[in-house]
Amino acid sequence: MSTTPRGAAIEAKALTRRFGDRPAVSDLDLRIEAGESFGLLGANGAGKTTFIRLLTGYLVPSSGTVTVDGFSPIADARAVHQRIGFVAETSRLYPELRVRGFLRFAGGVRGLSGAPLRDAVDRALARFALEEVALRPIGNLSKGYQQRVNLAQAFLHDPALLIVDEPTAGLDPLQQAEVRRELHAVEGERTLLLCTHDLGEARQLTRRVAVLSRGRLVACGPTAEILGAGDPLALFRGPEVAA
Amino acid sequence: MTALRALVRKELAVLFGSPVAWLTLAAIGLVTALLFFDHLRVYNQILFLYASSTMGGFESDTVPAYVNLRDQVFLPVMETLALTLVGLVPLVTMRVFAEERAHGTDELLATTLLTPNQIVAGKLIAAYAFIALALGLSFVYPATSIVRAGLGLPHLLAVYLGLFGLGIALASVGLVCSAFTSSQLVAAISAYAVAFVLYDFRWLAQFLPEAAAEAIDPLSMHLRFGAFAEGLVRGADLVYFAGYVLVAFALCRLAHDQARVR
Repeated sequence: MSTTPRGAAIEAKALTRRFGDRPAVSDLDLRIEAGESFGLLGANGAGKTTFIRLLTGYLVPSSGTVTVDGFSPIADARAVHQRIGFVAETSRLYPELRVRGFLRFAGGVRGLSGAPLRDAVDRALARFALEEVALRPIGNLSKGYQQRVNLAQAFLHDPALLIVDEPTAGLDPLQQAEVRRELHAVEGERTLLLCTHDLGEARQLTRRVAVLSRGRLVACGPTAEILGAGDPLALFRGPEVAA
Repeated sequence: MTALRALVRKELAVLFGSPVAWLTLAAIGLVTALLFFDHLRVYNQILFLYASSTMGGFESDTVPAYVNLRDQVFLPVMETLALTLVGLVPLVTMRVFAEERAHGTDELLATTLLTPNQIVAGKLIAAYAFIALALGLSFVYPATSIVRAGLGLPHLLAVYLGLFGLGIALASVGLVCSAFTSSQLVAAISAYAVAFVLYDFRWLAQFLPEAAAEAIDPLSMHLRFGAFAEGLVRGADLVYFAGYVLVAFALCRLAHDQARVR
């Protein structure tokens, strides 16, 4: 008997997004299987964040399509958002809110209420060791704790797809290890889309990677293969250099 | 509805997490109290002059009709409270959309079950709720004067309905200005500029042909509020203030959509 893997599949077909005349993502074809831990690599400005924004429906594609489990983030936003947990950089939190209040909000806007919301918040506080700071304003926490809060909010509704954008940027090595440990635990549990320019992080957390340069896909394959051979930084520099 | 309720609660929590909300509430309470007692003091002095025979004044039964609590205390206080709203409301609304965009938290909202309409509605509802709360805090002093003046609760409620209408109109202007920028400063300055023009068109009359001045005069917020201050609740005035809500909703939604396709 076959079992359906946990997680959500992502598929982009000829996906293009321009800002004025400048293409941020250009003619991108990519498939990420359900349950896969996948890394999206590239230098700053390569188009990683734009791809994530297209995937979440925050931006509308100029042309082409992207889907999550076959649902379009524009036409079927609700179906896509039910499947997504999104972890942005730590600065994208509400510093005025207390940790528990923020998590209640994050659960509420994902459709949780009453006892299920309380349980989800309690579970998240316990999982990310946030009980001690539950009543403190987020703005008063260290960056490491803020990133834990950020991760906790993304897990509240048990999403099939976890999208993580530069999760360890600005954290000290201990905090980075903590965040990576949490993300490592995701493997097999749900799909992980990790957006990073840290090659070590990609090696540690993903099985397959795609490299973007100037909005174009320049490499895609097993992490060990793409990052193990030759000079992976050449891929970051652009297609003509890599070639 | 769960998601919308969560958003409204978050908006109010963020608002009250900053000093601006508390300072605004304190300012409205303080201004109302100071104005009320100052006008009451002057009113009592006038009464004393009329009633004091030792000062060669008038007999108390000769006090003219216009010397009463309504005209000497209540209406001036309400008029100044309306002006206070013009000064304070943009400070409250400037951050609602602009800060969300500047901090990138709008991206977080975009990954939730909230629809764009709910995001805009939630923010508008929270801002209007804050206006209602601020006005509620100022209620006690005018209530005292109304009871003492024997004008009755309906008049007081009419005035507060007008003040609330004015408040949501000003908040709507501020919210639209906030929706089109990621700078709170730009949002506040543009809201002041637009509110200044819309509050009272009469100053424009001297620069405009008479027909044009007459045509735009009914659009003035102050004129619409004036009817409520007299105790008149007219359908046209209610529609006028409701129009601000609808226009604000449409423009904020437009700004939200523009950000996605720009």
